[in-house]
Amino acid sequence: MKPRRERDLNVDIWGIVVIAAFLLVPLLGRSPLTLSLGHQVVIGITAAFAVYIMERMNLLAFTVPAFMAIGGYAAAMLATNGITSLPILMLVALVVPMIVALPLGLVVLRLKGVYFIFFTFILNEALQVVIFETPGLTGGANGIAGIPPASFMGQSLSTLPLLTAVTVVTGIVAGILTLLVTHRFRAEFSAIQDNQTLAQSLGVAVWKYRTIGFIASAGISGLAGFALVNMLSTAHPSSFTSMSAVQYVAYAFVGGKTTILGSVVGASLLVTMSNLFSAQGMLSSALFGLLLMSVVMAAPGGIVGEIRKRIERMRLNRLRDRT
Amino acid sequence: MESILSTGLIGLSLGTQYAMIAIGFTLIFGIMGVINFMHGGGYAIGGYLTFALVSVVGLPFWIAVIAAALGTAVIGYLIEVFFVDKWASDHTASMLITMGIYMISTTILIMIFGPEPVSGFSFPIRGAFRFAGLYLPYSTAIVMAVCTVVILAMFWLIYRTRYGISLRAMADDRDCATAQGIRPSVMFPMAFALAGLTGGLVTPILSLDAHLGEGQLLKAFIVVILGGLGSVGGATIAAFLVGMVEAYSSVYLGGSRGALVLFVIVLLILLVRPAGLMGRETRKA
Repeated sequence: MKPRRERDLNVDIWGIVVIAAFLLVPLLGRSPLTLSLGHQVVIGITAAFAVYIMERMNLLAFTVPAFMAIGGYAAAMLATNGITSLPILMLVALVVPMIVALPLGLVVLRLKGVYFIFFTFILNEALQVVIFETPGLTGGANGIAGIPPASFMGQSLSTLPLLTAVTVVTGIVAGILTLLVTHRFRAEFSAIQDNQTLAQSLGVAVWKYRTIGFIASAGISGLAGFALVNMLSTAHPSSFTSMSAVQYVAYAFVGGKTTILGSVVGASLLVTMSNLFSAQGMLSSALFGLLLMSVVMAAPGGIVGEIRKRIERMRLNRLRDRT
Repeated sequence: MESILSTGLIGLSLGTQYAMIAIGFTLIFGIMGVINFMHGGGYAIGGYLTFALVSVVGLPFWIAVIAAALGTAVIGYLIEVFFVDKWASDHTASMLITMGIYMISTTILIMIFGPEPVSGFSFPIRGAFRFAGLYLPYSTAIVMAVCTVVILAMFWLIYRTRYGISLRAMADDRDCATAQGIRPSVMFPMAFALAGLTGGLVTPILSLDAHLGEGQLLKAFIVVILGGLGSVGGATIAAFLVGMVEAYSSVYLGGSRGALVLFVIVLLILLVRPAGLMGRETRKA
């Protein structure tokens, strides 16, 4: 049997492969509905990656919408000022939230347990207020409208299939970054996840790795924010509400919080079902709630976690039969 | 001067309401370890039940408020027994389950009462105290008085009765307390009754719509982390602090700037005391 580390890496690489497969959506599908669903799923996956990174250290962070807003607004300001180059916009959406996360992390990461959870939730509300109070910079309650689409080598990526392709490329970049961070610091993150105090006593610089994770999570959130703003051509505070943070946590948890593939599966399932439910109008929210409860109760380790558990059980049974 | 005092009264009134919501929330977390996203929903359900019992059944307001609190408690009990008990040890799972229940309950409220805020639902007693330039509506004074009595009763229950001691034992060591035969299953009904009672009393004065719960939940978060998780005393002090800051900053700085001041204060307090005003080391998240 392959070592656990190698098996986890394989599962995570499969997660990236699945996102890359979303490039087929703009190539094969021309229906606006399919393209829109592809957009939403990949943005959901990217946001779930940000939750996943923090979950690797046993930290449940609700900061995703706040950093999405920072990344999205930063890219929107740049684009409306004439800089629409895709690599530059992606870089700005990645780096600006990371810069904001560094000093913020010094405060937030001092908090333990549920204080951390609640405070990260409140941060979203604080950022909403900041957006409303700075109309000169962020457009206030009106947001920033009419954002030009990203361009690549002078070519505007404005058609619906190209917009979808930009979102998928952003998702792939976010996936690769998540893979690099979580596997480069795998041992340290796992030690912190298992027992933070023990890890500290064994010489792991817990604060350093928690800060690295927090900053990486902020950057990934920023990329999701850019993808969202680029798709809507509007940066609006209503796109980054506190309650949306719960959805991103749900994506990561329902799919399985221990692998990248889990975030991909969770976001794909919940976003798709949410779209199907929206045809039911008023009932859509209740159906989503029911689905969320059912999956959490039926598969506590998440869908991918449960499948892996069953596969490993089958392998063990086979080994036992042979011996 | 009168304006400063009148604003202080508004702050006290807000403080009592927030304390009612936050005490239930902090007890559920402190004793069961559950982050209850449905807690704000209990407030909205209390408001709607009171409205329905007054306007459809024709009950007198005060009986309707008590019946609504009891009805909300029953809903809380069912949620605890059927959905939460088994998952209480997993923060994220129980949080997502209560989030799902909140989504379902909001939809049910919208289906029954419509998506618009309820109109024509008002507090049965009108008029106001006017004294030396101070102004306090009777409705606000009554809500403050009722909430204060209930908060004092909660303190008595938690700190002066054997039952309260067993609940605090549960908060200290759940496994050990369970082995001694103590069951926390009255926590959800108690917390929901508090939220429902507050909803029944306050929504006729403010407003009533199905999404009210989200705002209440956020307030509970702020109050509870400021006060210190699991601390009833801390939650009460923090609730009054939040009420006062909100009242003064709203009057003198304007709505959203007032909210910003509140967030800054929360941040500063947590910088100095990462476990809140009266908090202690917390459960793992």
